[in-house]
Amino acid sequence: MNLDDYLITEEPYYSPTHNEIQLFEAAYANRMPMMLKGPTGCGKTRFVEYIAWKLKKPLITVSCHEDMTASDLVGRYLLDAEGTVWHDGPLTLAVRHGAICYLDEIVEARQDTSVVIHSLTDDRRILSLEKKNEVIKANKDFQIVISYNPGYQSVLKDLKESTKQRFGAIDFDYPKAEDEAKIIAHESGIDTKTAAKLVQISERSRNLKGHGLDEGASTRMLIYAAQLMSKGIPLEEACEVALVLPITDDLDIRNALSSAIEACA
Amino acid sequence: MAASTTRGKYVISSHSQEPAQEPGDPDERLVFLINEGKHLFPNEYYPLWETACGKLSHAGYGALIPLSYARHSPKLVKILNSETAINFAATVSLAAIKVNRAAAELLPKAAVIAAHELKSTQAFTSWVTTIEELIYNAPESLLAVLERTQKIVSTLTPDQFRTWVLTGLRSTGDDALRQINYFSFTDPESEKWFRHEAGDVVFTDLDRRLKLYLLSLWSLRPPIRDLPASTSPLSLRRISISNGVVRVPEVFPGFHGEQAEKIFRAGLAHVGAHLVYSTKIFPLGELKPIQVALVSLLEDARVEYLAIQTFPGLRKLWQQFHVAKPSGPKLVPLLLSRLARALIDKEYKDKDGWVQKGRDMFFDPQNDMTDPAMCRSIGVLLGNDLGQLRAQFNAKTYVVEPAYRDDNMGLWDFGDQQGQEEDSDGIFIEAMRMDREEVEDDSSSEQEQDQKENDEDEQQYHARESTDSEQRESEVAVRYPEYDYLTGSERPNWTCVLEYFPDFGDAYKIERILEKHNNLVNRITKLIQTAKVSLPERLHRQSVGESLDLDACVNAVISRRMGDTPDPRIYSTTERKHRDLSVMVLLDISNSTNDKVQVSGTSVLELEIQATSLLAYAMSELNDPFAISAFCSDGKEDVHYYRIKDFNSPYDTRARAHLAGLHGKLSTRMGAAMRHATEDLVAQRTHRRLLLVISDGEPSDIDVDDQQYLVEDARKVVRSISRLGIDTFCVGLDAGGDNYLHKIFGRKNVAVIDKLEHLPEKLPLLYLRLTA
Ligand SMILES: Nc1ncnc2c1ncn2[C@@H]1O[C@H](COP(=O)(O)OP(=O)(O)OP(=O)(O)O)[C@@H](O)[C@H]1O
Ligand SMILES: [Mg+2]
Repeated sequence: MNLDDYLITEEPYYSPTHNEIQLFEAAYANRMPMMLKGPTGCGKTRFVEYIAWKLKKPLITVSCHEDMTASDLVGRYLLDAEGTVWHDGPLTLAVRHGAICYLDEIVEARQDTSVVIHSLTDDRRILSLEKKNEVIKANKDFQIVISYNPGYQSVLKDLKESTKQRFGAIDFDYPKAEDEAKIIAHESGIDTKTAAKLVQISERSRNLKGHGLDEGASTRMLIYAAQLMSKGIPLEEACEVALVLPITDDLDIRNALSSAIEACA
Repeated sequence: MAASTTRGKYVISSHSQEPAQEPGDPDERLVFLINEGKHLFPNEYYPLWETACGKLSHAGYGALIPLSYARHSPKLVKILNSETAINFAATVSLAAIKVNRAAAELLPKAAVIAAHELKSTQAFTSWVTTIEELIYNAPESLLAVLERTQKIVSTLTPDQFRTWVLTGLRSTGDDALRQINYFSFTDPESEKWFRHEAGDVVFTDLDRRLKLYLLSLWSLRPPIRDLPASTSPLSLRRISISNGVVRVPEVFPGFHGEQAEKIFRAGLAHVGAHLVYSTKIFPLGELKPIQVALVSLLEDARVEYLAIQTFPGLRKLWQQFHVAKPSGPKLVPLLLSRLARALIDKEYKDKDGWVQKGRDMFFDPQNDMTDPAMCRSIGVLLGNDLGQLRAQFNAKTYVVEPAYRDDNMGLWDFGDQQGQEEDSDGIFIEAMRMDREEVEDDSSSEQEQDQKENDEDEQQYHARESTDSEQRESEVAVRYPEYDYLTGSERPNWTCVLEYFPDFGDAYKIERILEKHNNLVNRITKLIQTAKVSLPERLHRQSVGESLDLDACVNAVISRRMGDTPDPRIYSTTERKHRDLSVMVLLDISNSTNDKVQVSGTSVLELEIQATSLLAYAMSELNDPFAISAFCSDGKEDVHYYRIKDFNSPYDTRARAHLAGLHGKLSTRMGAAMRHATEDLVAQRTHRRLLLVISDGEPSDIDVDDQQYLVEDARKVVRSISRLGIDTFCVGLDAGGDNYLHKIFGRKNVAVIDKLEHLPEKLPLLYLRLTA
């Protein structure tokens, strides 16, 4: 089977924040399992896409959710006219044919899924398909990458220590102000001066983190605001829609944020 | 006509204006007035009124009361109606009996003023009702209120008037002296609540959002206190910064609604600019008061200029309050306002040479705007210029304009040379100095406390842990609203919860409890263990269940096709698998918990400690996150709160020693304590959160007479907590007060036990509720 469909042909726009590209390439050279940590909307997904393109490897992304089971990852038998056929799951595909497999928010998935990846993330690099009675040796190009939002998990929903310790980790945070402005300008088409204003506004919200906000406005939110502005919506309104209203229901915080945005405008 | 009515305000008629001359003798005068009434009352009502007057005059209240009634009550006929005028005699009589003659005499006159403002009979009647409430509950204060009738009725609706009165009664308890202070507006609280009722925006209403605003702009969290409205000799009060404590006037008189919110915001933004950019304090040196005022003004302009560089929107916020005009007499305060405007408003044009000079010097490109020193040198020069113009500057009456700007006392180092100069210049400095000291007095300790409060926010548990056990004073003070069922609303910032460091007792006492009740411990642990409180999870491959498991079905068919025996477990079901629950145990340790429980013979508190020990043991064995706190109260300003164990601290010897060290004292302001405990629970990220109150019943406090009041407040808290998705449950010890508990928590959420042995029987009730 051919994973060409999973190859990223066009260079995704990615603006590095530190030396994460270099670090990741070194990790990939050793096929080290990697964990990308960081708050929501800070560019983890974009980074993996970029890296896959740079390494010219196919990328298979799985967004994990509460009801996801091991078979959703590994594969299952299905019925067809003649009888039964085995259908490889996304992880098995990546293992067999050599792709980077990105498991987004793996903690969300059920416990049994993380066990599946154990044999893939130590030096055995094998995946056993019990139902099918098959053991696959991972393709030389295969690498597993997971994302992980520290702080969002309750104690019951954390990664097991034995899972955590199988990964190397790169810490992501919102890009530096000028970089973030450049990203926003690029993604939305607004000018960098306005984008810089948006970044300044995001700092206002990030100052409230831990004082009523769990998280400041993400790069993604700022891009939304910028996209609204590129369609002619004025700054304060765009921020209201893309930022103030979604981020909190607390009226005092909304009022404080809106006033701070007014001060920036 | 006895009454003279001008349009708008009503003027109480002086006797000389009346047409016929009154006889001098009081008795004759009464007869004369009653006669006059004939023209004013419709025929069918006149006899009734006549009788009412007669009753008052024969009741032995003296001559003045019936006279006052006979003179003023007919005026009510015209504004309202005859019946109301006649019925009002009963209220006058009540005042004469319960209060005193002076108040009763004033009452009819006040009633006319009230009637004129209120206009409708309905509104007037509810004014009277509130007056009667005062007569019953605070007779000594009636006179003070009546004397202020014009102010009250022209500002407040009758409902607001009633709420303001109730607030006074609530806050002063039974203390007649404090009541009089409140109702005569001597107590600053009174004016504050008056404005609050009048719908004026008071700082308390905006406190939280404005603090968040400062935090958002500059990451600043200075301690902010409100400055009572009427403590100042000047009617114009300004924000003041000293020693890092920011004091904000409770109101800015004359600013209403949105404007009021804006001026508070502008004021705090200005404070922020000072805190960020006013990096140096100016030595006072030999400066004249006018120079001090000018340097301060320039420094204001400089920090605002810098702040606007980062936050351009602030210009608009500030500029709207600069309304000085480039004309008018050249008085110093006006010139200062014009200069202030010239320094922020680019469009502003002013032909005055001095103002222009000030502007040019300030914006000289050679200046280093980041250095406060420039303000000093320019200010000194401009001050000299004014001196040469022989313009008068009265330091004593000068207030900073516009009103959002602070008094700038915090910018100056007044040194130690106190009270040396005696010339006229000296007074300003002296005034400044006194002002500063008066503020300083209590601010240094408050600042420390505030600092702690702030640190506390950052969850510095360890700081708390390292505090000396000897330390008894409160470390954290947080204000909460309280609900008044009579008005159906909450009074903001009404009570203050103070956190005190708990005593140490003998931790082994807890061990001994556990040993002694070994059996119970096991039962309770098992019981909790089986309680699954979490999000339901989908279970696949079940032999029974409410839906088909598609995966399993496909597998079964596949097995059959391949000739194997299919697995019959093809159903799925949902079930709660574990406990995802945080519990806050809140112990009532008021004095009444020292009472013995009838059945078991131990004290209520002892029983509380025992029950808590068992629960805590079970929860820590099962790794359930939990916290333990205790409370009692000594009036609304001092609700004691003790942290025995926090969510993020271990249940160790220390926690157990605190638990064993509890002793019963003071009263039971339950609502406030629950509000405070909830703050911690809200931060817990579990599926369910439970506030478990252990109490012996009735909430009460020394400053509250009305039994129902604290019960209703607690009930309100329970309801608002449940809206946050937090469950409440109460274990009532001893049956005595269970009625109140039922009322507060709801019948289903109370378990009453009188013996420790009954705890395991009642607990399932609780966990059943949670899993439902
Ligand atoms: N360094 C970056 N270079 C380019 N674009 C970026 C960068 N960081 C963030 N972005 C932009 O932010 C958006 C959100 O980023 P992304 O979807 O990668 O976030 P994420 O970290 O994966 O979030 P989540 O944890 O919610 O999945 C992207 O669509 C991209 O436009
Ligand atoms: Mg100032």
